[in-house]
Amino acid sequence: MERRETVPQNCPGHFMISRRNLLKSSALLGGSALLARQLDGISGWLARAAADALTPAEAGELARPENVIYSVCLQCHTACPIKGKLLDGVLVKVDGNPYGHGMLPPVVSETPPVEAARVDGKVCPKGQSGVQTLYDPYRVVKVLKRAGPRGSNRWTVIPFDQAIDEIVNGGNLFPGEDPVPGLRDLFVLRDAALAKAMAADAKKVAEGTMSVAAFKAKYADSLDVLIDADHPDLGPRNNQFVFQAGRIEHGRKEFSKRWLIDGFGSVNWYAHTTICEQSHHIAYKMVTNQYRHGQWTGGKSHMKPDAVHAEFIVFFGTGAFEANFGPPAMAEKITEGIASGRLKIAVVDPRFSKTAAKAWKWLPARPGTDAAVALGMMRWIIDNGRYDARFLENANRAAAAIDGEPSWTNATFLVRIEEGRPSAFLRASDIGMGDADHFVVSRGGQLTAVDPEGSEMPVEGDLFAEGEINGIPYKSAFQLLYEQTQEHTVAEWAALAGVSEADLVDVARELTAHGKRAAVELYRGPVQHTSGYYNAQAIITLNLLLGNPDWKGGLAAGGGHWHELGDKPGQPFNLKTMHPGKLTAFGVKLTREKASYEQSTLFTGYPARRPWFPHTDDVYQEILPSAADAYPYPIKALFLHMGTPAFAAPAGHRAIETLRDPRKIPLFIACDIVIGETSMYADYLFPDLTYMERWGTPHETPDWPAKMSKVRQPIVAPLTETVMVFGQQMPLSMEAVMLAIAERLGLPGFGPDGFGPGQALTRPEDYYLRMVANIAYGDKPGEAVPDANDQEIDVFLQARRHLPSSVFDPARWQAVVGPDHWRKVVYVLNRGGRFEAFADGYDGDYMAHKIARMFNIFVEPVAQTRHSMTGQYFSGVPRFEPVRDALGRVITDEEFEFQLITFKEITGGQSRTIADYWMISELLPENFVLMNPADAARHGLSDGDRVKLISRTNPQGVWDLQNGQQIPMVGKVKVVQGIRPGVVAVSWHYGHWAYGANDVLIDGVAVPGDPRRATGLCPNAAMRVDEHLQNVCLTDPIGGSASFYDTRVNLVRA
Amino acid sequence: MRKTSSANHALETTDRRRFLKLAAVGAATAALATEAVGGPSHRLRRRAHRLARRLGMKADRVENHLIRMQEDLRRALQKPVEQRDWVMVIDPRKCIGCDSCTISCKAENVTPPGVTYRRVPKIEFGAFPNITWIFMPANCMQCDHPACATAPGVPEGAISKRPDGIVEIDYAKLRGEAARAAARACPYSALYVDDGSFYTENTPHGLQPYETRDFQEYDQEYNRTQGGLPVGSGRKCHFCLHRLNQAMLPACVTTCLGGAVFFGDRSDPQSLVSELLASHRVIRTRESLGMEPRVYYIDEPIEGRPHLSCTVCHP
Repeated sequence: MERRETVPQNCPGHFMISRRNLLKSSALLGGSALLARQLDGISGWLARAAADALTPAEAGELARPENVIYSVCLQCHTACPIKGKLLDGVLVKVDGNPYGHGMLPPVVSETPPVEAARVDGKVCPKGQSGVQTLYDPYRVVKVLKRAGPRGSNRWTVIPFDQAIDEIVNGGNLFPGEDPVPGLRDLFVLRDAALAKAMAADAKKVAEGTMSVAAFKAKYADSLDVLIDADHPDLGPRNNQFVFQAGRIEHGRKEFSKRWLIDGFGSVNWYAHTTICEQSHHIAYKMVTNQYRHGQWTGGKSHMKPDAVHAEFIVFFGTGAFEANFGPPAMAEKITEGIASGRLKIAVVDPRFSKTAAKAWKWLPARPGTDAAVALGMMRWIIDNGRYDARFLENANRAAAAIDGEPSWTNATFLVRIEEGRPSAFLRASDIGMGDADHFVVSRGGQLTAVDPEGSEMPVEGDLFAEGEINGIPYKSAFQLLYEQTQEHTVAEWAALAGVSEADLVDVARELTAHGKRAAVELYRGPVQHTSGYYNAQAIITLNLLLGNPDWKGGLAAGGGHWHELGDKPGQPFNLKTMHPGKLTAFGVKLTREKASYEQSTLFTGYPARRPWFPHTDDVYQEILPSAADAYPYPIKALFLHMGTPAFAAPAGHRAIETLRDPRKIPLFIACDIVIGETSMYADYLFPDLTYMERWGTPHETPDWPAKMSKVRQPIVAPLTETVMVFGQQMPLSMEAVMLAIAERLGLPGFGPDGFGPGQALTRPEDYYLRMVANIAYGDKPGEAVPDANDQEIDVFLQARRHLPSSVFDPARWQAVVGPDHWRKVVYVLNRGGRFEAFADGYDGDYMAHKIARMFNIFVEPVAQTRHSMTGQYFSGVPRFEPVRDALGRVITDEEFEFQLITFKEITGGQSRTIADYWMISELLPENFVLMNPADAARHGLSDGDRVKLISRTNPQGVWDLQNGQQIPMVGKVKVVQGIRPGVVAVSWHYGHWAYGANDVLIDGVAVPGDPRRATGLCPNAAMRVDEHLQNVCLTDPIGGSASFYDTRVNLVRA
Repeated sequence: MRKTSSANHALETTDRRRFLKLAAVGAATAALATEAVGGPSHRLRRRAHRLARRLGMKADRVENHLIRMQEDLRRALQKPVEQRDWVMVIDPRKCIGCDSCTISCKAENVTPPGVTYRRVPKIEFGAFPNITWIFMPANCMQCDHPACATAPGVPEGAISKRPDGIVEIDYAKLRGEAARAAARACPYSALYVDDGSFYTENTPHGLQPYETRDFQEYDQEYNRTQGGLPVGSGRKCHFCLHRLNQAMLPACVTTCLGGAVFFGDRSDPQSLVSELLASHRVIRTRESLGMEPRVYYIDEPIEGRPHLSCTVCHP
């Protein structure tokens, strides 16, 4: 066996960083008086220690409950419960919250905080480094306004109030440039009753049940509020204000939607999901949607294996130990299982991952061939009769119940075949057997109507069925799936994926050798392809062949959370209804998501000008290109929050061209903690708080079996400047910006009577504390947490003694929720959330929290949708698809030798982990272009050689920043055995040219960048631009996922 | 309609296997550490309940090896220091190479650039597609015959053995060339010299407070600003002695994502580490040097992967 070493942090011998002597900056970014004060505090402690005055208790400062505040991480979206440890107001150490998933199992909630303070849980290296994200020397703490063209890296510090006035009122804001529209010019539809009426009629116009002329006549006096009176379904001009969030989580999601959608009346609120894993979510939703009143709705977007009891798990793409959702919650369940012999795992991934390092079998499949692997496995499983037919034959709830199955499928439902195409389910009404909400199954050739929810009369059907009734040819859903698997032999499927047939069969055999205690998992890897949705659907369907939903060791829905919005019985604050004057936002979204092209006034046949995405949302990569093309309408203002589309989206370099152009984005405001790769193009940059200084209610991964509501709360005093809004002092943050704009414009639902008469929404905690109270009361009466006792109240107050009154004022906080709820709120805050006992996540052989519903083998709504560019119908069962562009044309790019993939090291979260010097300096100072030795030898390349990535749509291999700067996509080769030949991999989160990596000029003074933050490369600009659309990456037309892994590149020695 | 069972239900059943496993772990859910140590689980669970009561916690019906080890620690602290026999046991099968221990240690012990008490070497073996990786967390092995202590140029008393097994550095004595000599003498490359640098020096806001804070090592307070000790001294892992004194586990143990690191008192047969050492094949690296290191590695295979042992390179 050849023996060699890999990765730089190898066997002892450490990497010393070279530190350039940087010029000391005057505290241009605001420098914080607070920090100086905190340092004084530390010195004071030191002085006492020197004077031998340290009490024994002080020796254990970090284990004292009054120096601990529990909160929630945000170095990645797993949002692990954390324990922040403070020394004189400075956050010095982050550990896992022992009440949350930081321990397996956690301590129970009855454990008093004084005891839990002495028990540390786990958190990953990113989480540990959160201290450095908080105290990042490149934090922005005051408002910046650009002092040159966009992206010039020249800024002026301006007062907050001036900035708010300028963006609200617009005008001649930049010398020598066109006047800028203010938000006031876009907040035109303000009448709630009118908005509601117009919304209803605009929908009728889109559906064709009301003519445009009739609409115009009815609203003749108000047509000026519309973007285009001839297309009322585009909605009001309010929609021309777009809120684009990169990372936004629950808490802030709801706050910002209240502000933008219900307050400002714009539909254009976006998260980043399609550059993450959206097609995975959409596939899960489609497979779990239920048929209710003529609609397929209510699907669950995410499920996970119960790794605590599983005996076999197949991971497609990202595993459990580097990214996914995420290692602190997932890892130990799997390592324990492997070490004890309970569990074996297999990994399908072109790159050998840390998960693969523990795998019984690694299948290094070609990128994007996940559906081929899954269909090949399904063919073998069906051909060999190793599927759970007993589970699959159940056609309704009653039949499932008899078998002790919480869930069932539509495998036996009959599908109409129209013009040779499986189109829609046969309805009982079609054949005179019942109503239109009921389906039809065949049993021994006899057709029976079935109500999937029927709980009295059990119905089973034949899995394999085809025939004709009343002239309608039909096949069962399972028959259609089977035929799809029969498209190729198992050997051919294996060959398409580039894996050995024997391996594929071995994995399929093992998967079907553990009854319900096996599952198949995917996240991002298989879905960030143009075929992403089908890949995910195929993988999820594998689980259904096992009949594993809701079984211990099978596919789990997760424990879920108590709802924070307050619309459950017994919750004190219904934040949805506590909104006087709430506007009804309406109209097609800029990205044409959740909207039907055919049911719009823009329909002119195929292809559409740009694609429409009826089944997905948050199509992040499509926002700026749509604005650039003014399709379906131009936008006037963009508010970018904690996002970096120029850097993080594939082909992000094309977004820079749009951002640079004030004619396409007339007003661009950003809210960020640092000057980032995209926020550097903003007109105004508002400093945000990091997650250590603010609120949130992130939801838990379904990997966790028990219920969990996490609460993020301020751990330290804010580092941003204090501003005055609604007469209240508060730290500069996303919330402060939104509240200030609301104050200027009089947005409904904000202000002294924002929640109703005498109920103010003038401060962030007015909102978030009410959410905490809702969580404390739970989802039904009788579910409330206990009151905090006097000792807990004392701990609570002591632990916040360092927080300034702009953040924490106990009397004010108590007044927000009222004295009756206060002690319950404290109980939750003292634990960083609310946590069901781990063991209560299980119920005998089952998961306690069940999805318990019908799963769809055939997805009717997808089968009934046409591709908006080709007019072709999509498929109801999963299929293997080549890479395609927006027009559906197959892309091969054969003249490029390598397929490019990306991945995340566990040390790389999103952009912000480049600020984490412990990891950057000691673990991985730069990233690499990973390649197989066979490929390297053929090109004469070896470790450390510098190569440039070039692709068909980026033949120069550069990032053009449109400001005179060009960043070549050059990285160092690292030759590793753990990658499939023909594939090169570049890890995410290096290659920064902003975010503290570059020099910027503020008020005429240079702030030098830090070379430690500028290492490595970001390969996204090499990623394939769609040659039809020209300004966006390739995209999955169903799930909307941006293609990260379909690009072929050549390596050029640099 | 009467329900009939399907004829072609051909799934293999593993009921027997599952039954045996359940019998081993009881009806409790995860039984995490329990299965790993292979010990009689009911005894462990009883102990967990006892411990939980003492901690004021309700046990969650499943084992938590961290809680158990913390209880082991409390028991050890009730004994005189010379009767404590600290050892660390690492299960590389459970190490996922996440480096969380490395970073946790840096934050806990305020170590500067280049001084990293705890590392996780990652080695790749084999050739595509038959490869494997091994992750071997390593820190100061707290040897009973430490080469660093007796290396030429290291003054008498600069490095000593505490009665509980921890190798202690006297920062005032182990400085400059002596520290470098000690570092060179360590076959594990576990000893570093603090060069006085900071991660945030020469950045726009200057030194950040997490780097300038006070911290405790070897029962003393330190602060590195203004060149205070241990700047210029030799530094290394001390099993988080300051945490042990508070009955808290070393920071690398509590943050281990894979649950791969165990710590406790070897002289206590009830301790988890004692059970692990008794029930598993364990090795120590560079055993042949006769230094009697106090860090043990479980040396058992994972099904399906070529078995690697650190003794391949370090007999």
